[in-house]
Amino acid sequence: MGLYLKLVGVQIRSQMRYRSQFVLDTLALLLVTGLEYASLALVFERFKSIQGWSLAEVAFLYGLVEMAFGLTDMIFGGFDAPRFGRFIRQGSFDQMMLRPIGITLQVLGSDFNLKRFGKMAVGVVIFSYALSHLSITWTVAKLLYFPLVVLGLVLFFGGLFIIGATIIFWTVESTEVMNIFTYGGSFMMSYPMNIYETWLRNLFTFVVPAIFLNYYPALFFLGKPDPFNFPAFAPFLAPLAGLAVFLISLGFWRFGLKHYQSTGS
Amino acid sequence: MESIIRVDGLAKHFSVRKHYKGRFAPLKNFFTREASTVKAVDDLNFEINPGELVGYLGPNGAGKSTTLKMLTGLLVPSHGEVRVSGFNPWKERKAYVRHIGAVFGQRTTLWWDLPVVESLELLKYVYHIPEARFRENLSHFIDLLELSPFLGTPVRALSLGQRMRADLCAALLHDPRLLFLDEPTIGLDVVAKERIRDFIKYLNQERKTTVILTTHDLADVQKLCQRIMIIDQGKLLFDGGLERLQERFGGKRQLIVDFAEHYPDVHVAQAQLKDYQNRRAIYEFDRRELSASELIGQVSSQFQIQDLTVREPDIEATIRNIYEKQLLKVPET
Ligand SMILES: Nc1ncnc2c1ncn2[C@@H]1O[C@H](COP(=O)(O)OP(=O)(O)O)[C@@H](O)[C@H]1O
Ligand SMILES: [Mg+2]
Repeated sequence: MGLYLKLVGVQIRSQMRYRSQFVLDTLALLLVTGLEYASLALVFERFKSIQGWSLAEVAFLYGLVEMAFGLTDMIFGGFDAPRFGRFIRQGSFDQMMLRPIGITLQVLGSDFNLKRFGKMAVGVVIFSYALSHLSITWTVAKLLYFPLVVLGLVLFFGGLFIIGATIIFWTVESTEVMNIFTYGGSFMMSYPMNIYETWLRNLFTFVVPAIFLNYYPALFFLGKPDPFNFPAFAPFLAPLAGLAVFLISLGFWRFGLKHYQSTGS
Repeated sequence: MESIIRVDGLAKHFSVRKHYKGRFAPLKNFFTREASTVKAVDDLNFEINPGELVGYLGPNGAGKSTTLKMLTGLLVPSHGEVRVSGFNPWKERKAYVRHIGAVFGQRTTLWWDLPVVESLELLKYVYHIPEARFRENLSHFIDLLELSPFLGTPVRALSLGQRMRADLCAALLHDPRLLFLDEPTIGLDVVAKERIRDFIKYLNQERKTTVILTTHDLADVQKLCQRIMIIDQGKLLFDGGLERLQERFGGKRQLIVDFAEHYPDVHVAQAQLKDYQNRRAIYEFDRRELSASELIGQVSSQFQIQDLTVREPDIEATIRNIYEKQLLKVPET
């Protein structure tokens, strides 16, 4: 752990050297996300709600997912597929194997990027907007459960990052495709799942348990009814679903490491 | 003496997928899984003793890097056993790599965006090097490798030679007993090469570090290596000293004599007179037929000698000879 913090520390310091770059990047990101959200707001301007969700309610979901994804992106940046692919091709990954510390820890500590702080900040802004326009009654249960949902989301997205990186062990070339997993996944999860076609929703329920990480917890916090008649505990599966995806991804990662050691490419 | 490296029947076979060319190639490539096997390393057996400095040679694609990758635990062999300092490199990776240093050609272990010195400091934590020992090694290596001018420079801004020096330092801060170097002098200018050779020599002689290095530069071999291994197509073709290599495959030795006065005919029985002018004669002789002292005895018994030199055959020519004429034939399989 101490070593991880050291690894992360030096990266932050070296990024701070390019402070103006950092400020520009963050501004650009804020602008892009802001525009994205503004266009959404325009849609609501005309329709007032989407399938029973008001703008503020969607903002709640959107902000939650963006915050968690920004956090994940910051922590698991080393597993970002295109970057990890470059890492392997340049032989940096071999260099990690030559050091007497865990490989997973080193990849984790290899790209802690402050730039991504901006993404999280956007999430926080939107989430604050939602809170100020909604009158959620924050019971003790809700207050206690909220961090667990964020944790579940971070584990879930972290797992997706790890799976994307692991696939690189087999397909060293086509790395941009892996972004569909992570960025695509987070994009879809920013909106209420009831707006998607049944097959897509089923995919996000039974294959990838995403619905238990965003949609159901949101129903719980917002006090909305469940249109799909799932058992009453469905909103509380978030930490479990996140952990499951994360553990599966770690298993896959170990398998990928073995493969890499036997093919060396 | 207990060997530090033992390699038994080591082999690495890569399965390489066939790639078609021409019309329909993409389709064929997609649907066929036909693979061919490349025997990058095939049945290697050798031992290396502590303190040896071994040159691992061979033409491009011979299997040198693959061997080094298996010895350092980066690759799992297809067959065979490797024992280094009592470790199985790929099964006990973390414990093992603490005891070795490795520099792979043009790759760097340093953090790209960090100043050199910060990368080196970070390695103190990575290897848990005691503070006092770390300071001592660091200041020593900074002197020997002349790192001071660029200690504060980010690694990405270093020249190739500077980076190699920084990487050598990085690989040695934790006092490894064994050092693996894959092409440590590739792409460097003469001065940088010389500096690195001196450093390797120092490590081997003063610190008793066992060194295995691959190289294309035979000056490296000539100046450094007591023992040479030649590999081609994954098979070990020669393992022995430079002397023995020269004996078996080298060209002729030369004796250069400056006579005290002019003699009309300076021919001697067993050596061939190559050149004779201005009282200087060059004889060529085969070490298998005649020793240098015998020849000198012969010449000096007939003529007055002012000065003489024995010139060994050029190792570069010897090795080129071996590769080109395939003197060490790989048995057909
Ligand atoms: N990861 C790999 N996958 C497939 N083939 C490989 C791989 N690494 C090396 N090879 C092949 O194995 C042979 C030996 O390569 P290498 O050990 O790099 O040779 P050298 O270092 O002596 O130039 C070459 O034919 C090379 O193409
Ligand atoms: Mg090589």
